[in-house]
Amino acid sequence: MENFTVTVSSVTFAIRGRDILRKKGIRAKIDRLHSPNDINGCGYRLTIYGDPAAARRLLAGAGIRFRETGAASK
Amino acid sequence: MIYLDNAATTYPKPRAVITAVDQSFARYGANPGRSDHALAIASSEQIYKCREILCDFFGADSPEQVCFTVNCTAAVNTLFKGLLKSGDHVVISSLEHNAVRRPLQKLMNLGVDVSVVRVDEHDPLNCVGGFEKAIRGNTRLIFCMHASNVLGVQLPCAEIGAMARRHGIPFGVDTAQSAGYIPVNMKEMNIDYLCVSGHKGLYGPMGTGALIVRGDCPDSLAEGGTGSASVSPYMPDILPDRLESGTVNTPGICGLYAGVKWVMSVGLNNIMRHDMDIVRYIYANLAKIPNIVLYTDEPNIVTHVPLLSFNFDSCDSQRAAAFYNDSGIAVRAGLHCTPMAHNQIGTLQSGTVRICPSYFTTSREAEMFVNKTRIISKKI
Repeated sequence: MENFTVTVSSVTFAIRGRDILRKKGIRAKIDRLHSPNDINGCGYRLTIYGDPAAARRLLAGAGIRFRETGAASK
Repeated sequence: MIYLDNAATTYPKPRAVITAVDQSFARYGANPGRSDHALAIASSEQIYKCREILCDFFGADSPEQVCFTVNCTAAVNTLFKGLLKSGDHVVISSLEHNAVRRPLQKLMNLGVDVSVVRVDEHDPLNCVGGFEKAIRGNTRLIFCMHASNVLGVQLPCAEIGAMARRHGIPFGVDTAQSAGYIPVNMKEMNIDYLCVSGHKGLYGPMGTGALIVRGDCPDSLAEGGTGSASVSPYMPDILPDRLESGTVNTPGICGLYAGVKWVMSVGLNNIMRHDMDIVRYIYANLAKIPNIVLYTDEPNIVTHVPLLSFNFDSCDSQRAAAFYNDSGIAVRAGLHCTPMAHNQIGTLQSGTVRICPSYFTTSREAEMFVNKTRIISKKI
């Protein structure tokens, strides 16, 4: 199974994104980030286990702003 | 004690609410949205669950539109002060609470103009034309309460919302006295901003409320930490973070979640019918007492929420409330922070005695209240 990570700026977006993906059978895990470069200070990372294209489409379709940060370590 | 002051805050709270608040300290004691340990994430999940249930309950589009506040007044202030600028015009009803009147009074000093539309307490549903006539080229917001906290009358928010949408003007509603009694669907009623009290008809703890934002995002009223985008000196431009600076009230929000779940499980119709039956029983009996003054037509579930204002014709409301208190009955006297409504019905000097049952009020308690009222009416 492919996995990749995206960052979102708030815990609300992180939980909502995870739940939206979960409803479509895509598992995602939430971590908090502190990375001044990526997310202007503090934010959240979703590690997504599933089809990246489908996940991107679902998150964007729900109005969740995210930044893709690449493949997650396995 | 017979508690009939539920329009001020519902008491008692359902057992599930008390348990949720109690357990929140042990289960969700970490600061939500601030740290990355498991307890903080668990706490964040609980806060999110409450956003989600409020989003569904009020027909908003998305949970992040639910911004927690400390009460309904804070929600109104956040909306007005974050949205309105000098030169803007607002239309409100003649029955508004000081939560609306006072922030607008302050904004009037800064160049915001306000029109007040009379809502007839005997024909409250017939006011949409008045709101429409008050619209100007610079009207930035139409705002009204969903139900009067003094008279119990409902305002026709679905019709006002449809009219506002036709004119392209944002519409805001104060649901402090209607939430938990009357269904509210922001999408269907064309409501852009909803101000919510958590501790009244939603049976949550005091210190809880929400501003639900479907329209343009108001500017922040208070700035500070959000646990997000912390390098920036500015508030985030996303909801709910933009309107929630500082730590939220996790125990209160857990209790509010339990309250809304409880209301949903009992059913709005059942709560409304139960409480209205009690109010109608009291109204019918008070109407037979010669020296009692009632201010509205007989309440019903279409035109009113279950609360009632009255007076003894020769007695100040505060004095009457003291008689009730001496008998172990809690009622509210005075102006109920709503002098606009009292000005309209001529009770600015005397105030009114207000009673409001809850789902826990029994018909036996209503009988005892009526009997005590008969006795007081002879003493006064």
